[in-house]
Amino acid sequence: MTTRAVRKKKSSTAQTLPLMLIALPGLIYLLINNYLPMFGVFLAFKDYSYARGIFGSKWNGLDNFEFLFRTKDAWIMTRNTILYNAAFIILGTIFAIFVAILIHELGKKRRVKFFQASLMLPNLLSWVVVGFIVYAFLNADNGFINNTVYKALGWQPVSWYSTKEPWPFILTFVYLWKFVGTNSIIYVAGIAGMDKEIFEAAQLDGASKVKQILHITVPMLKPTIITLTLMAVGRIFYSDFGLFYQVPANSGRLFAVTQTIDTYVYRGLMESNDVGMSAAAALYQSVVGFILVIGANALVRKIDRENALF
Amino acid sequence: MSTRFRFVSLVLALVLALSVCSFSAAEGYDKVVFSYATFNNIPTNEVRASLEEAINAITREKIGVEVELMPVSIWEYSSAVSRGLQGGDQIDVFQTLGDFNVAVSTDMAEDITDMIDTCAAETKEIIGQDWLNACSFKGRIYGIPTMKPIALTPMVVYRKDIADEIGLDFSNVNSPADLTDLLRKVKEARPDITPVAAVNAGNIGLQLTVPNTDYLSDDYYTPKGVIMNDELTVLDFYSTDAFKDVCNLARTWYLEDLVMKDAATTASTAAELMATGNYFCYIASYSYPEEDTAASISAQAGGFPLGAKIIGSAFLDTTAINALTWCVSTTSKVKESALKFLNLTFSDKEIINLLIYGLEGRDYVLKEDGTVNYPEGLDAASVPYTAQLSCGTLGNFFLMYPMEGTDPASLDWELEQNKTAKTSAAMGFTFDNSRVKSQYTAVANVISQYLPGLVCGSVDPEVDIPEFIAALNDAGLPDIIAAKQEQLDAWAAENK
Amino acid sequence: MKKEKIKNDVKSFNIFSTVVLAILTVITLLPIILIVIASFTDEKVLLSSGYTYFPSKLSLDSYYYMIRQGPMILRSYGITVLVTILGTVGSILLTATLAYPMSRKDFKWHNQLSFLVFFTMLFNGGVVSAYIMWSTIFGIKNTLLALILPNYLVTAFNVFLIRNYYSNSIPGALIESAKIDGATELTIFVQIMVPLAVPVMATVALFTGLTYWNDWTNGLYYITDPELYGIQNLLIRIMNNIQFLKSSSNAALLGTQTVDLPGTSVRMAMAVIGILPILIVFPFVQKFFVKGVVLGAVKG
Repeated sequence: MTTRAVRKKKSSTAQTLPLMLIALPGLIYLLINNYLPMFGVFLAFKDYSYARGIFGSKWNGLDNFEFLFRTKDAWIMTRNTILYNAAFIILGTIFAIFVAILIHELGKKRRVKFFQASLMLPNLLSWVVVGFIVYAFLNADNGFINNTVYKALGWQPVSWYSTKEPWPFILTFVYLWKFVGTNSIIYVAGIAGMDKEIFEAAQLDGASKVKQILHITVPMLKPTIITLTLMAVGRIFYSDFGLFYQVPANSGRLFAVTQTIDTYVYRGLMESNDVGMSAAAALYQSVVGFILVIGANALVRKIDRENALF
Repeated sequence: MSTRFRFVSLVLALVLALSVCSFSAAEGYDKVVFSYATFNNIPTNEVRASLEEAINAITREKIGVEVELMPVSIWEYSSAVSRGLQGGDQIDVFQTLGDFNVAVSTDMAEDITDMIDTCAAETKEIIGQDWLNACSFKGRIYGIPTMKPIALTPMVVYRKDIADEIGLDFSNVNSPADLTDLLRKVKEARPDITPVAAVNAGNIGLQLTVPNTDYLSDDYYTPKGVIMNDELTVLDFYSTDAFKDVCNLARTWYLEDLVMKDAATTASTAAELMATGNYFCYIASYSYPEEDTAASISAQAGGFPLGAKIIGSAFLDTTAINALTWCVSTTSKVKESALKFLNLTFSDKEIINLLIYGLEGRDYVLKEDGTVNYPEGLDAASVPYTAQLSCGTLGNFFLMYPMEGTDPASLDWELEQNKTAKTSAAMGFTFDNSRVKSQYTAVANVISQYLPGLVCGSVDPEVDIPEFIAALNDAGLPDIIAAKQEQLDAWAAENK
Repeated sequence: MKKEKIKNDVKSFNIFSTVVLAILTVITLLPIILIVIASFTDEKVLLSSGYTYFPSKLSLDSYYYMIRQGPMILRSYGITVLVTILGTVGSILLTATLAYPMSRKDFKWHNQLSFLVFFTMLFNGGVVSAYIMWSTIFGIKNTLLALILPNYLVTAFNVFLIRNYYSNSIPGALIESAKIDGATELTIFVQIMVPLAVPVMATVALFTGLTYWNDWTNGLYYITDPELYGIQNLLIRIMNNIQFLKSSSNAALLGTQTVDLPGTSVRMAMAVIGILPILIVFPFVQKFFVKGVVLGAVKG
């Protein structure tokens, strides 16, 4: 009994060291780049004074967090952030997989390469430029929509930047436009790695393309989907600043539907540039995301242990 | 687990050891890092070194200092300086861009009251005690304001050619309300043109025409508690009749198609809009005389002939003076030398012109009449070094060589304005907002939401103003006003 | 009979795919075409009649303006290309190696490692502490390293992508059989994991490459010498300078001779210039993503 146990232990230490060494370079980088600077988190609890520096400044407890909860606005921004992220995760995943499957099915033809390259293009543009594009379409005086489309249809022009109802759809559409192309690539790579034999067998058994996709491809993508979704859940309190600030052109009338935590913090701190408060906001986003993802990961562990993040 | 801890602590120890290594000073001379905002291109390291050498030739002798220049683009200046100071970089002299009171309350600016007589006596002379008071807090001086024309006068800048064509008479226009009739005439005669263009998003210039209002340390466009008409009672600006009048005027203009519809969110600025030829005028504040203003903007606004008419009066409050203040950083290790160099930027003609224009011959040519221009074939974008556009933010404006084409009489007008413009009753008072920081943030957001629409006329004041005020109260504006009143009363007791 | 049914099924699916992808592509490209056209539109026309697919007046002025900045732009392209290549290569190396032990369920600490990596996704110390680290302690300011090292060399997201691929698309049997044959961990990694993970590594290379190409914040924080600006950093600086000068009405009047400020059309030209090289390079990189990776080794 003991000899067997000893043998088992020996084999695992023999592989632990080399594996650890292989992981070391990347790990060292993360320690330096991500872990060492974490002392900056203290700033969230300090009343920062330039003269005293980070370590000398006085503690002020939870004061820096107050502005995140004070007003009705604060809850609106939280609600917006979560809802948008939920929509982005769900719709983004569906579309990315959809596009990935289509691209994969069509194979190596030249036009497929063209499609794929085109769909990726929006991700290369900065949000400032995307903001210009949206403005080109939506501005009240001579935007493409009002000037050309609506005029042709005989409809009254709409003051887009002052009407808040359509914006959740507009922003979701812009998000998908920008990211579906690049996100689909992850799934394309995943599908490319699948064993073709299973598909051939199913085809011979009489399964149509659609059936194959629904019953083989998608389930086999499950691990990837779960990983990506878990990671997205961890960032659910973060928003892409450019999307929510540049694209709605910083229009006040739209705040009720376009204000997120990041834009709220930016707008609020522009004048005072408070070091402690911005650190507090960042910490708030991190902690919430952390709790949510631990919870989600625990859930996944119960259902499908293999696919949990850790 | 323990191996990991050991490793991490080893790295940390190494890190601490490295951080102890300090910067070395050059043989005997103190090194002063001078950080300033530039609107022009950043020079390459080589060009910068050549300029530093020219400056050092003077400063070594005069004050035993060697200078390192740190020009930063204006749009990132504040965050770069903030980051640098937090990160432990050496920055000895820096400027504030409208946030002087924050620099004081976060201990960024050094108290120079005791050093100013020994290190910057000339500057103290030039600036005068009144202006220095505007850069003080609780009786201690924290910075030196830029010496320049600061009285901003609201003007309407308009297309002279169209005005002459229609036969408009601007001589009786002394306020925006007077402007309305003229605008209607323009609309009638030229239905293809929109009379009023925005200055920039959310601003058609009307707010600044409300006379005698001191924003008490808030920025120009988003006041959060003001005093008006020489009374030392802090009010909510947005509840006043003056504000309501502004909104109603804007609304009238909006409904009668006298102002551009997109003013609240436009991505264009006044000059761009005027250049399209689709607008007649815009309202903004300038510190130069009417003719200079018009001539200068004309080039940027498509070359159309422009005229300018003053429609309000200049008003000097504390922020007007300390918006551009030069400070010595609290983290500086060579404070006195820093202050001495700062002094030179106010008192030494050679130094200030080196900073603004660069090296004579290479970066600019000096004409016989004392004006300067770029060398043949070059312009502001192609010379190795220029900071010409920073002329309004560096040191002493009145010591700089004027650009070719400026009228010397204008300088006199500007100096005169500085001295005679109406001054606020709270001149010298700076507000410390550290106790109401979270209310400030919340209120700032509410203002971003409601103000642009209201002052550009795109929303109905009857509906929105009450909503706006309710939201402001919810966000904590009354706390801010109470805090301001408290500090103002204390200041008044000490100073009056 | 059956064979024909299969053929028909495949064909109709292909047609469906092509049509759908074509529509999506058109929707995606239309806005981009608009800004390319805007970059060739005369500035005045752009301001007065707005953005249109059929401008009344075309002009190359914006591109002339950019050409005048020519040397600076070429140099910054060079810098960005160099940084992108170095960064991407470095990133693949560090990320793929880190992901491997994480994917081995029989590795004692694979869970702890995963957690360590994941934690970095959620918590970060902020810009200033990173700045203190890299600038004050490691002293990389104004060097090429400053554009490569901070932030992007290893990201948790990429690590998990690769780890996942290792776990799910590379059969454990392969590793087992290699170990029985006496291979060391390093050999297994180099001879099995790497070649079989080509699709995902190409993906990570693409994402990292794009990230480095598009990044301007590293340059903003750590580079003050204009000779080291990358292309995006340069463009952002120019654009923000313009924005700022234009939004402050007093800044407009800081001297009788004002800088020739480029307008909307030039900003569009800048955007086009920013994405041009990627457009050219991408087709060459694409072959890694299409299907065709052989997993024949499993059978053997």
